[in-house]
Amino acid sequence: MIHRVLAPRTTVRAHCDLPCGVYDPEQARIEAESVYRIIEKYAANEDPTFRTRALVIKERQSDLVKHHLDVLWHDYFKPEHLAVVPNLHQLFWDANKQVSKVKASTSIDDAKKLLELIDEVDAAWKATGGNTKTRVAGRPG
Amino acid sequence: MTETGPRRVRGAWRTGSGGPLGLRGRIGGPWRVAVAEASMTPSISEGDWLLVDPTVGRWPRRGTVVVFRESGSGDLAVKRVAGRPGDWIPFAGAWLRLADDEAWLLSDADDTALAEAGHGQAVDSRAYGPVTVDALVGRAWFRYWPVRKIGRLPKAPAVPFERGPGPAPTQD
Repeated sequence: MIHRVLAPRTTVRAHCDLPCGVYDPEQARIEAESVYRIIEKYAANEDPTFRTRALVIKERQSDLVKHHLDVLWHDYFKPEHLAVVPNLHQLFWDANKQVSKVKASTSIDDAKKLLELIDEVDAAWKATGGNTKTRVAGRPG
Repeated sequence: MTETGPRRVRGAWRTGSGGPLGLRGRIGGPWRVAVAEASMTPSISEGDWLLVDPTVGRWPRRGTVVVFRESGSGDLAVKRVAGRPGDWIPFAGAWLRLADDEAWLLSDADDTALAEAGHGQAVDSRAYGPVTVDALVGRAWFRYWPVRKIGRLPKAPAVPFERGPGPAPTQD
């Protein structure tokens, strides 16, 4: 009772996060789709110049996938989210490892597996309310 | 900390209140606030309840904890005054001089400790720059919850930044 009377009605933030607070696994997925497509194009073209270029692009977009996954992992997800998604750390470990695998490979199956893992991250983000809280006016449909 | 209440009120009045609502709006508070998030650890923790003096109209001395309205988000935030109007601040490899109404507000927690605790980087003047006095809401001075930590808020040593090789001050 006394506790309730004393409780302040105003909250102040000892703010520690990126100020924008906008996160979406879609960012990682788009880069991973680039990787998927470029592997398809690599397989369909024998020209060595084209193939070299494809590998360079695959390398670059793969790094972007890692970056976007890391931002979600380090900045969006909080310790309390582990209650909702107990395998969170294992999931990000697997997804980032899969990016490394895709970098070293030209197999479409590896790229497909990466897309599936990003979809699992997306499910975790939705399960923790990310789709309503981290996009302006919710995630566009 | 040594100033008396009435003097602070007069000061707030004289400087044109330092807030959009003027002195009358300031008396409305907030007088008590709850702290969310962790950037002021170890001195102030999440869930602490603080008493605030909302009648201050000027930036208090360095080392004082203040409540202010964050630009952009508009949220109320709590940080510590690291630089006052006229101070030189080391920033991005150069020096920045605070204008007559600006303060440099920093967090207590260091980024490594925050990262280990699973938080993001502290967001303070290093992210959003100097804060003008019209965003100042009050001076936090006392913690009244939890019981075992009741008392005046610890003040950080008021060490000014050493004046760097910045450009000569402009006439003002």
